[in-house]
Amino acid sequence: MREPAWRIFAAEYNDASHVIQSKEEKAPKYVITPLGAKVNRLFIVGVLTDIEEIGAEGIRRRARISDPTGIHVVYAEAFKPEIASILADMPIPSYIAIVGKARIYEPEEGVLYLSARAEMAKEVSIKERNYWIIEACRSMLIRINAIRDAMNMKSPTASQLKELGYPPLVAEGVAEALKIYKDIDLHHYEIMAREALSFITSARKEIRQNYEEEEQKLLKIIEELQGEEGAAWDAVIGKAGEEGIERSIVEEVIASLMEKGQIYEPQLGKLKVV
Amino acid sequence: MEIEIEEAINEILESVDVDRETVEKDLRKFLEYGVPLEHAKEAVINKYGSVVKEKKLKDVRVNERNICVVAKILAIDEREVEVRGERRKIYRGLLGDETAVLPFTAWKDFGLQKGDVIKIRNASSSEWEGQPRLSLSEWSEVEKVDYEIDLVKRVPKKYNLIDLKPGLSNVEARGKILSIEERVVSIGGEERKVFSGIIADETAKVRFTSWHDFGLKEGDVIKIKGGYVRKWRGAPQLIFDENSEVEKMDEEVIMEEIVVPLYKVVEAGGGISLTIQGVILDVRKDSGIIFRCPKCNRRIRNGVCEEDGEVEGVADLRIRALLDDGTGAVDVIFNREISEKLLGKNMEEYLRIAKEAMDYSIVYEEIFDKLAGKPIKVKGDSMPSDFIVTIFASHAEMAEIDEKKEAEELLMQLEG
Repeated sequence: MREPAWRIFAAEYNDASHVIQSKEEKAPKYVITPLGAKVNRLFIVGVLTDIEEIGAEGIRRRARISDPTGIHVVYAEAFKPEIASILADMPIPSYIAIVGKARIYEPEEGVLYLSARAEMAKEVSIKERNYWIIEACRSMLIRINAIRDAMNMKSPTASQLKELGYPPLVAEGVAEALKIYKDIDLHHYEIMAREALSFITSARKEIRQNYEEEEQKLLKIIEELQGEEGAAWDAVIGKAGEEGIERSIVEEVIASLMEKGQIYEPQLGKLKVV
Repeated sequence: MEIEIEEAINEILESVDVDRETVEKDLRKFLEYGVPLEHAKEAVINKYGSVVKEKKLKDVRVNERNICVVAKILAIDEREVEVRGERRKIYRGLLGDETAVLPFTAWKDFGLQKGDVIKIRNASSSEWEGQPRLSLSEWSEVEKVDYEIDLVKRVPKKYNLIDLKPGLSNVEARGKILSIEERVVSIGGEERKVFSGIIADETAKVRFTSWHDFGLKEGDVIKIKGGYVRKWRGAPQLIFDENSEVEKMDEEVIMEEIVVPLYKVVEAGGGISLTIQGVILDVRKDSGIIFRCPKCNRRIRNGVCEEDGEVEGVADLRIRALLDDGTGAVDVIFNREISEKLLGKNMEEYLRIAKEAMDYSIVYEEIFDKLAGKPIKVKGDSMPSDFIVTIFASHAEMAEIDEKKEAEELLMQLEG
């Protein structure tokens, strides 16, 4: 059977600390994540942020791919020169799709470095990236539900979870995860999913635009409204709306002004120019 | 301690042919000498030699060894598998006695036939689908006995048609007969009528064969109890016969298009009239412009057909792509018409491009570029294949989703 390619967020994958392999000859290795993904192959779509040559020959390459939760590390190995050259030709940043096998490096007992060894690489568009985020979230929610169901069982087994209609790999992965991970923080992952989805719902522009004009306008608005205590967030948004700036852009610009240190929050919900 | 001793005695009694009193006396003697209970237990068993007692199938647990049972072979199938690079025949089927029915695998040819009542010694068990499966190895002994045994009355298990996979037996399923035809086959010199067609429920369409005349006709909605499932032409097939119960139902079946998760397609080994959706994760190298033999339609290489020798090849465009939805993966084949639609160019244009470049691989590269990484929705039937379930597409379109709506729905689920 060909191993399916898990759509999995970097944060969940990198949180994994457990690998299983059955005793049979040439049996595949699986990474078991805290939410019970049983990963041998991955499908990753994200933003290519960095690529470096590694090894003496300079044929191998290591790429970093950013998703809404963290960074996936991907290797293009020497025996896949076509993948290494696709990566080398790709602009940074750009949206990239990777199919890869789980690459497991355990330099010593208890220390696990997880990454992917690329089998396929291709530049894609924001459309495929957003589709991937949705698939990754959906798959994560199924596992969160499976873990909840399993926690209600006396001694959960893979076959019981299959009876409930979970796909076999999910059932097996979740049963395994519950054995090895203590106190799985589902809430933490739910927040992660929510943040990832907000990438899509908050209608970010395709590529971060230059908001200089809006920044100037907003600085002026805040200055006008701030008085002693600072300008109320809602008032700023209202005023900006009157001047034709969309709410989602206002939020983005405020975040960027704060990052640059041009405005600050003297108290929660109030903004002041520095 | 007394409870543990009791348990130990019971366990010992399962494997030796000595009375309880003797076992207890021996065991307590070992314990008096300070031998740990576990060792004492083994010592008593060793003393009398492990006489394996016959078990009933319902008492067989997972991961047991040295099992002895008397059972009847209810079904048996031969298949070839590869074990450590070597092809060998194994036999799979069902064993039954008056207490249970269990699947079994025989790793060598014991000359077993459906209907045989056999005594098995030194079998082992493993887990399959949540129940024990008996395994008959090189070291197992099998002997035919000349008496009949009773069989447990089993309640058939209900399945949706999409969940039927080859190897299942005692299946209960319900569906509407979409087509049916009669033919006569000769089995061992005897002519028999068989009825084959397609049956559908809300989840899937499936081919069926009835070995008995139940007077079925197109449009009937029926419930079948006691059917079984075999693989035929690369897809599961529901089979029923005179031992099955077939009941006509006074109800309708409303079929809607359901996207089937790929793990189900993989588990079933295929299917017909499937609707599937996934992302194209690879385009196989044999995609693009190919040439076919004008006589046999086989693909030819360098102007030579394996069957018909040197021929003038006819150009064709086809794509074989790997489709993966995160739960499973299948190959999908697109014929010329569908390929042209997906690519937005026709074959003549590709022929021209390839001729200009004097390289047909340019067509492959364009296909990869246009399709890899993209979500797609496909309808089609599986076809026989050795390595990976392969779907021959009858329809395909790039999948469009309303990402904001989907994201909002998922957010709602998260609010829960």
